[in-house]
Amino acid sequence: MSGLKLRGVRKSFGSVEVIKGVDLDIASKEFVVFVGPSGCGKSTLLRMIAGLEAITGGELHIGDELMNDVDPSKRGIAMVFQTYALYPHMTVRENMGFALRFAKVPKDEIKRQVDEAARILELGPLMDRRPKELSGGQRQRVAIGRAIVRHPEVFLFDEPLSNLDAELRVHMRIEIARLHKELKTTIIYVTHDQVEAMTLADKIVVLRDGVVEQVGTPLQLYDNPDNLFVAGFIGSPKMNFLKGIMENGAVRLPDYENRIVPTGVRAADGTPVTVGIRPEHFKEGGSAALPLTVDIVEHLGGETYAYARHGNGDLLTLATGNDRAVGSGDSYEAKFDPASMLIFDAGGLRIR
Amino acid sequence: MASRVVVREHINGWLFIAPALILLGIFMIYPIIWSLWMSFQTGRGMNFSFGGLANIQRLFADTVFLRALGNTMIFLVVQVPIMIILALLFAVALNDTKLWGRSFFRTAIFLPCVTSLVAYAVLFKSMFSAEGVVNATLVGLGLDPVPWLTDPFWAKVLIIMAITWRWTGYNMIFYLAALQNVDRSIYEAARIDGVPPWARFLYITLPMLKPVILFTTVISTIGTLQLFDEPYNITQGGPSQATLTLSYYIYDLTFRFMPSFGYSATVSWVIVVLVGILTFVQFLVAREGRRA
Repeated sequence: MSGLKLRGVRKSFGSVEVIKGVDLDIASKEFVVFVGPSGCGKSTLLRMIAGLEAITGGELHIGDELMNDVDPSKRGIAMVFQTYALYPHMTVRENMGFALRFAKVPKDEIKRQVDEAARILELGPLMDRRPKELSGGQRQRVAIGRAIVRHPEVFLFDEPLSNLDAELRVHMRIEIARLHKELKTTIIYVTHDQVEAMTLADKIVVLRDGVVEQVGTPLQLYDNPDNLFVAGFIGSPKMNFLKGIMENGAVRLPDYENRIVPTGVRAADGTPVTVGIRPEHFKEGGSAALPLTVDIVEHLGGETYAYARHGNGDLLTLATGNDRAVGSGDSYEAKFDPASMLIFDAGGLRIR
Repeated sequence: MASRVVVREHINGWLFIAPALILLGIFMIYPIIWSLWMSFQTGRGMNFSFGGLANIQRLFADTVFLRALGNTMIFLVVQVPIMIILALLFAVALNDTKLWGRSFFRTAIFLPCVTSLVAYAVLFKSMFSAEGVVNATLVGLGLDPVPWLTDPFWAKVLIIMAITWRWTGYNMIFYLAALQNVDRSIYEAARIDGVPPWARFLYITLPMLKPVILFTTVISTIGTLQLFDEPYNITQGGPSQATLTLSYYIYDLTFRFMPSFGYSATVSWVIVVLVGILTFVQFLVAREGRRA
């Protein structure tokens, strides 16, 4: 199995640079997720690794080999597409065995490989159907099967679950996680869905505007984001951001009756900062509090989200655990532990 | 029992299509039925009488008819496959996003089918005449001039070149439209899977275009069986009936000779039967392929 190494990788379409120098190391057998908002370049970067887009600058190594100009079929990769990209006129069996025919694999060996992949993916009863006779989830399994039979060093997934409904997406997510355990290959997975990223990844690469914002394990990104963008992108519901000003080793919150919250973060007095507090970090027993009025309450059963604001300020999201007593229009002292606050400077970078 | 609203909707519907139905009835359905009845009449000019199967018997003894039938079949068997294959190749080439100037080529190849039939036929006739541009070029290249209009073989070649020139772009547009509906990631998946370009064309493009290929083949078959304009304008069916087609013969029977309306109706119905048989065969072949 191979890892990957990207060094200063760039991509331009004409004068527009969409990937602006990516350095990245992906270990063998690692499950890496590229995540970011649409247009951030994550799919383009994946397609460059696949060889479907030319690399404008920098170096791409798969294993120990420089792959910049190697044909896609010779990179040891297999790719699963968002639209499944199945051959519509072929049966499931033919779809999965098609590539092997051109790799000069003997017929009975093709059959063995295809049957093995069908077993892993539980496609047995569907082998003689055509793609249009399959559901979305089944099509995606066939597409994965078509990738498996080639025994690639690296699997590339390009938003594979985006065309599925919510319930099926959760199911397929678990399937893919199981598959990674079973196949023990390197997987690079592109998604715009941070929940998919958090649940699947060994390592998440957050991209924005063709630049890597941060690389880390899901919990590293959640607990310790480098900047406002990553802090806002990772976590659901999103982190709350409050305006603050540094004073005497504490933060003053001008929009919340100038309350002072102590912090261990060091910055010069008068520095304007942004304070980040996750919805789930508002907890009873915290030593700091925000004076809020509840606007709307969402009861999900196991969790209750309150959307609240101070005066005419921004709406904050609070995860109140299972506090069913909260009601619209209530005054609410939102308590939190000052240590859970994240502080960012005016440029959006984390102050630690 | 239909409610009054439903009845009124029915009347409304029929009223809307009535003008079209009446016109179709007068100018299509009635003549078709009339021609079927006519095809059993014998006689010349306005004097005709019921002749039973006499016209059909006459077909088999009519050497000119057999000639026209043979010519039409040659045009069909040679020209349609050439045109379909050319149109496919052009479509695949012009669907390549990396090709420089592809909208220019698309337009250039499509343009012949919107030009005036007579104008292009006259141009072809002058270009391919004994001392026309084409022969002048051939001689200039040190080759022998070709008797395009005077040799039976070359006259057929000329007619085939003319219709191919005129209709290839038309068929290409259908293939291009179909190709643009194909999900690009299917080809990308094939590239990653190491499927060579020829196999992508053979095993992916062709099967996916099959319905369109069937459609254009049927349309082209019908068109070629009715071939008239080019032989009439370029070669006048000659030399020595080498480019006489069934439609041309019908025209001759009806308007050139002492009119034999009954017999020409019979020849017309030969074309109808041929179109029916060939279309049926083409659908059958397409379905066989699907099952295999």
